[in-house]
Amino acid sequence: MAKVKGDIIVDIEKCKGCELCAAACPQGSLELSRKLNSKGYHYIVRIEDNCTGCTNCALVCPEGIIKVYRKTDKKKEPVATISNVTGDITITVQS
Amino acid sequence: MKELKLMKGNEALAEAAIRAGCDGYFGYPITPQSEVLEYLTQHAKARTGMVVLQAESEIASINMVYGAAGTGKKVMTSSSSPGISLMQEGISYIACAELPCLLVNVVRGGPGLGTIQPSQGDYFQAVKGGGHGDYKLIVLAPSTVQEMVDHVKLGFELAFKWRNPVMILTDGALGQMMEKVELFPQMPRTEEIYPWATTGKTKDRERSIITSLHIQPDKMQEINLHLQKKYKAIEEEEIRYEMIDCEEPDLILVAFGLVARICQKAAQLAKEKGIKVGVFRPITLFPFPYKALNELADKVKSFLTVEMNAGQMVEDVRLAVNGKIPVEFTGRMGGIVPTPEEILQKIEEIYVGETV
Repeated sequence: MAKVKGDIIVDIEKCKGCELCAAACPQGSLELSRKLNSKGYHYIVRIEDNCTGCTNCALVCPEGIIKVYRKTDKKKEPVATISNVTGDITITVQS
Repeated sequence: MKELKLMKGNEALAEAAIRAGCDGYFGYPITPQSEVLEYLTQHAKARTGMVVLQAESEIASINMVYGAAGTGKKVMTSSSSPGISLMQEGISYIACAELPCLLVNVVRGGPGLGTIQPSQGDYFQAVKGGGHGDYKLIVLAPSTVQEMVDHVKLGFELAFKWRNPVMILTDGALGQMMEKVELFPQMPRTEEIYPWATTGKTKDRERSIITSLHIQPDKMQEINLHLQKKYKAIEEEEIRYEMIDCEEPDLILVAFGLVARICQKAAQLAKEKGIKVGVFRPITLFPFPYKALNELADKVKSFLTVEMNAGQMVEDVRLAVNGKIPVEFTGRMGGIVPTPEEILQKIEEIYVGETV
């Protein structure tokens, strides 16, 4: 098994399946799920365990619903959070 | 001062409704337009005191709009294709009673319950009437999120100018798409009391009656003639369209809404290959710009209509061209959006046919 470097958490209820993140992912580890969310959209899921935590998906997500975790020696904490777009966009990336 | 925001189509539309001084919204959630109701319930009441109500069904919501519009208030509803189909009876009543209101149709793939992806399959329903009887809606077709905002304001203006329901015919992609929008400043809610509105009979005014039931056929014919006269006047005054690179093209793409933007990209790709392609975009679908298209037909060898349906607007384009030149059609159905490459391929096919 590949060494896990990063992981993402998607707010699937807000995902509209635009697949921008799938196109932006350099590892090609994102894909639409077969299941639907409550609005009827296929939501995005990580299908490979090769996520590097590069935050590309979170940056392109128009809904701002992807949280990226990167494995560090310290405890698990988000490296990028993007607030909802009706307000201001704030991006905080910790290396 | 310009107020720029990054907003989702549906939310921008809801924000525009608040800012346009809308008095009431009655709706029922359906993907892909649920965000309109969601946004309005969160923001509207605190800001303008606007009434936002989730009805028990689409049929109830359109009849609430009918009632509220009768009082001369700015009211609106929104839904997606199956919901709008349910509303048709009410829309016909509103059109007959000559009441102003704004309807938003965020079209999804059909027929039937269909898909929740974008489509333009409701063109006929919106433009040719949809419900029973001889009536027409003024139909606006935005192609950007910015226009979703502008058309709300314009829609209310047109609705009150002509006392006719106005429909904004957009699609699931525009509703879900996030784009930069420039918002207009907050307008106050109107206090005006219209002479036709049912606001209570006082001693100094005549009784206003709002009805769409006229038992005598001669009375009904009179009303029909009056409506037709109004539609004629709308056809003369309210035509809006956009022409892009239509000076000396080899071919013209005719498309409305979102597809017009895909066509612009296709035209760009064609230009790189040495084919001059113009894009004609009707902004009002009723009244349809027949005259402008007829005049354009003298300049080019053929038209290509691109739509996200099986070919609905193409019939109007053919009517406008009146057999002068061939009108080709390409389109995708059921919620699939055509790509610029697909359109380019079709352009090349037609272009080769023209030059041989």
